[in-house]
Amino acid sequence: MGDKEGSLGRLGVETAVASSAYFATILLTFELVVPLQNLVFPEYSSRASLLFLPHGVRVLSAWLLGWRAVPALLPGVIAAFAYVGGMDVLLPSRMIAIAIAVCTVPLCLHLLRVIGLDLFPSQDRAPCWLCVMGVGIVTSLIIASLTNMAFGSDPIEAIAYLIGDISGLFFGMLALLYAFRLLGRSA
Amino acid sequence: MQTLSKLAELRRLLHSMERTLGLQDLSPVERDIYYAASELSENDRRVRTVGLIEHALLETVSRPTFFRALKSLVNKGYLTQCSTMNRGCYLVRSSES
Repeated sequence: MGDKEGSLGRLGVETAVASSAYFATILLTFELVVPLQNLVFPEYSSRASLLFLPHGVRVLSAWLLGWRAVPALLPGVIAAFAYVGGMDVLLPSRMIAIAIAVCTVPLCLHLLRVIGLDLFPSQDRAPCWLCVMGVGIVTSLIIASLTNMAFGSDPIEAIAYLIGDISGLFFGMLALLYAFRLLGRSA
Repeated sequence: MQTLSKLAELRRLLHSMERTLGLQDLSPVERDIYYAASELSENDRRVRTVGLIEHALLETVSRPTFFRALKSLVNKGYLTQCSTMNRGCYLVRSSES
């Protein structure tokens, strides 16, 4: 009983952290990055952000939590879709896109583990950030293609999503690195 | 505790990124001490100040600079003092750990 309560409590904390991080990066992307992007590249007509930080949250959550990243990210992803598309979040295409967004990265990491390439954190081996980046790139390709199919949008949008996801993952990790460094200094 | 360990795992990942990209937050003397300590440390990752100060990389470094950099490496988490009461002993923390 205590164990069950403990794991529920842990899932609650994980959900609060992962979903808040996801939604916060969505806000940052659509309230700051996209307006800046529109100022710098006015001729770029796509709504896709060229720096999509939430993909970094998706990848790192799945790397840290495995399958638990699915329930942990779900409220944040639903809130993000509602924020961007309003009540359209209830459309079947949006629900499919939500499922794709939360399931693809954990699924990819588990499939890699099944074929003998275990990238999940372990005390017995050093973490491989380039492998995590690789997973981020592959899953971005999958998510962008599947989401495009679900939305029926222009294929060129998929390329913009891909660029945004990769840069979002890389710069998100870099930002975390410097955030930890600053926290370490002020501690 | 679980949340803390996830945070530690995330930091390990970012440390590996930091090292690959050459973004380590170390001064030249700190880097030389860390390299020397990594080289001198045995399987148990322990290194002694006496051995470090005599290392070829650190021959030209003055004692005050050496000890300032050593203290800074401890503060940044690259070295930790041995858990025993032995003051001249440090544990080399791998940047992957």
